[in-house]
Amino acid sequence: MRNKTIVFFILLLSITAPIFAQQKFLNDTLVGTSDPIVVTANRSERKLSNTAVPTILISKNTINKTGSLRVQDILQEHTGIILVNSTLGTSLNGYPNPFGQGVQMLGLDPAYTAILLDGEPLVGRNAGILKLGRIATGNIKQIEIVKGPSSSLYGSEAMAGVINILTESPTLEKLSLQLQHASNNTWGSTISYTNKYHQTGVQFFLNRLSSSGYDLNPSLYGKTVDPFKDWNGQLKITQEIANNMQLLISLRNHDSHQDNNCQILYQNAPAIAKGFTTETERSAYTQLKWMAAPNTRIYFRTFFDQYTNHSFVNLENTNIRFDETSFNQSVVKPEIQFEKIVPEKSVYVAGVGANVEMINASRYAGKQQLATLYTFTQKEWYLLQKKLTLIAGARLDKRTDFDVHLSPRIGVAYKPNASWKFMASAGWGFKAPDFRHMYLNFYNAQIGYSLLGNNSLGAELQSLQQQGLLQTGAVITNYTTTIPLLPESSFGWHIGVSYHTKKITAEWGAFRNDIKNLIDVYTLPFNRSNGLPIYSYRNIGSVYTEGVEMDTKYQINQHWSVAGGYQFLLAKDKQVLAQISNGQLYKRDPVTYQTTLVSTQNYFGLANRSKHSANGKVLYENISTGFDAYFRAIYRGKFGFMDLNGNNIIDDNREMTPGYWLLNMASSKAISKAFRVQIGIEDILNYTNALQLPNIAGRTFFININYSIQHYSTNQNL
Amino acid sequence: MKIQVLILAAAGLFISACNKTDVAPVVLPVVTSTQSLTVNFSNTKSFAFFSFKDSAVVANSDSATTKWDIGLRYTSFILNGNASGPGNAGVSMQDGIYSSLNTAPAAGYAVDTTSSNLAIKDGSWYDYNTTTHAFVPKAGKVFFFRTADGAHYVKMQLLSVDYLPFVGQVPLQLVYKFQYSYQPNGTKNF
Repeated sequence: MRNKTIVFFILLLSITAPIFAQQKFLNDTLVGTSDPIVVTANRSERKLSNTAVPTILISKNTINKTGSLRVQDILQEHTGIILVNSTLGTSLNGYPNPFGQGVQMLGLDPAYTAILLDGEPLVGRNAGILKLGRIATGNIKQIEIVKGPSSSLYGSEAMAGVINILTESPTLEKLSLQLQHASNNTWGSTISYTNKYHQTGVQFFLNRLSSSGYDLNPSLYGKTVDPFKDWNGQLKITQEIANNMQLLISLRNHDSHQDNNCQILYQNAPAIAKGFTTETERSAYTQLKWMAAPNTRIYFRTFFDQYTNHSFVNLENTNIRFDETSFNQSVVKPEIQFEKIVPEKSVYVAGVGANVEMINASRYAGKQQLATLYTFTQKEWYLLQKKLTLIAGARLDKRTDFDVHLSPRIGVAYKPNASWKFMASAGWGFKAPDFRHMYLNFYNAQIGYSLLGNNSLGAELQSLQQQGLLQTGAVITNYTTTIPLLPESSFGWHIGVSYHTKKITAEWGAFRNDIKNLIDVYTLPFNRSNGLPIYSYRNIGSVYTEGVEMDTKYQINQHWSVAGGYQFLLAKDKQVLAQISNGQLYKRDPVTYQTTLVSTQNYFGLANRSKHSANGKVLYENISTGFDAYFRAIYRGKFGFMDLNGNNIIDDNREMTPGYWLLNMASSKAISKAFRVQIGIEDILNYTNALQLPNIAGRTFFININYSIQHYSTNQNL
Repeated sequence: MKIQVLILAAAGLFISACNKTDVAPVVLPVVTSTQSLTVNFSNTKSFAFFSFKDSAVVANSDSATTKWDIGLRYTSFILNGNASGPGNAGVSMQDGIYSSLNTAPAAGYAVDTTSSNLAIKDGSWYDYNTTTHAFVPKAGKVFFFRTADGAHYVKMQLLSVDYLPFVGQVPLQLVYKFQYSYQPNGTKNF
């Protein structure tokens, strides 16, 4: 039955496409010929072709053509952006990973990429992963991705790069309604309205998304992803206060409710536990933009974001509370930014700000607060008739608990003619120890071990010892004085070449990042009185990642275009490499139990990294008939999942998850000026991997109906 | 209680001293074996005791005898000697390839000094996998044991540690698979 539907669907698509292709229209435009404006790479507006650091732009047009409801699905269709599961949080017997998926860039874990919404960092990361499901796709104007160390402008977390999700701004009157339906009883509805009245602009957006979830392993009690319901809303107001002054206020909220339904062991007998998780996020942003003089801009910004997560399960029959956790995090961030443009010569950007974060969570030792003061500066020079661009910038961060941290970045871009661009950049990145590393106070009641943050370690050990919960004779004196964790720091460089004509865009790049002081878990030399271990965090690791990437886009004619991208990546632990060369690392075949030494060639690299990843896209678009079809293929090569041969590294094919393809397709047709219908299939091959990749739902179908009316001013064609 | 243990330990030493003086001239074959031992996934339940010489599990009622060499529960090893039993067992952990390490060290055998200071430190022989929660024995770790009688030597390596199938989220038992050679002639050569 299901297969028939697919066949019909593909038939339908293949029939409709040629019909529309035969019709001739004059006013089609080629995608990607204009030079869009981006803001993330330099914290001020630049043409995309003028940036000296590698930048990916995902336009609203592209997002619409995918029909996707999830930001992460849109991101992973771009070269070098890999969706990965958290390595933590996989529970026994394959229960779903509560931390969800995050973005891996340049081979670094999701915790090392700053996720910004309209330029401001979102809080509420769980095990380093920010749930991207918090962001609705319906009102995204564009997504900008900057690869490479960007701490010189964005501070901590921007070690691998920055993903900046920019939402719609008020425009001329426009009303859009959208209804979406997809497999797994997924329903989405969106209303957005924007208008400008004299000096005031308003943009309103409301989205509801619900789904029954899915079950990849019916033999196991409970669903892989439990049913959920999400609400997202945003209100943006712009006000022209004077000719040279504009005020922007943006309020945003997110509410989510998801069932928790699982089988547990209670008093040595299996039992069913049920409950739910509620998440809320409220943010408020104000910006006053003052054009103090022609070419001089000053921005006054304040940002507030509060994220809460409350989760519990009760025993089904007795209603006894089995487990409950809560997590509240908020940030207040005032900032002033100054911008001075000397036309054709230079752009200067500088800023000063503060970042005050608060956390209050059941798994943390009390209420905690971290305050950071920062200042950044960057200058960009245009030389040799604007053929050569030079950038130099740096940022200083002073957090209450560690010394001033300096993060410089330099870059150069050379454009000998309209087609070629050569660029090189290098920067220092850092990631400050987060709340979890410092203040976690987690006791696993089911198994019995403790994981303690570095700063709460001393006090907690003393208290455990007083309560008689430490093993007798444990010597804790070495741990009672906190030795502060150092920020993890990196140095990275990127070189790239791009070639651009009306028909072809080709980009090649190479990168390397060296990271030291990585924070990792270690075991204390004594146990709890129950004999189970105590873990804490310290700076131990040092790794590197390096690779090459290439992207090509070819516009065949006014209707058809194809694109392809590829990334080759190596990510290795330097200590492991040293152990191998010293002949200290062994492996034990999991079948024959033969023990041998590991060779450098055996070592595949850090877990969760694919050497090869690629994507391909085919777009057919006919603006006159209002028809488009967009096919995307995403490949993720094999990657290490877990050690099986006794050396805690990935060095055997059996330790890897095989590579896989995700094929997605969407097609839309304008029915009238206001109506557009879109149908699509995601994961056409129905790839699933219940244990290792539980966030891939398998093949799903969707239909979107869009209704949009707008007010046209004369000669305005949107 | 403590005095009793000390007396037993002293007795153990005495016996071992006796044994050393009269090594049997009979050449006995080396016992080589691969065993799977089921162990409680709990630090409060009882240990599983094992005898290398007999290649057999020893009943818990014999915990105060020298019939067993090692005891296991959760990820803790105890050796029959000092704080843990009446015997004179010890261990020396070496890095290398099992088949190439053919001589037990002459000295340097660690013993269970106290119940909280065991010869085999927790975490010294495995890597805990946070993804799968598996305790994977480190490859290239070879254990040389002196048995409970204080007079014989064993070379051992762990092959695997797996959870027994279980319901829910908490396992109840682990299965330790290991291979070893027991040298009955009392020498340190394998």
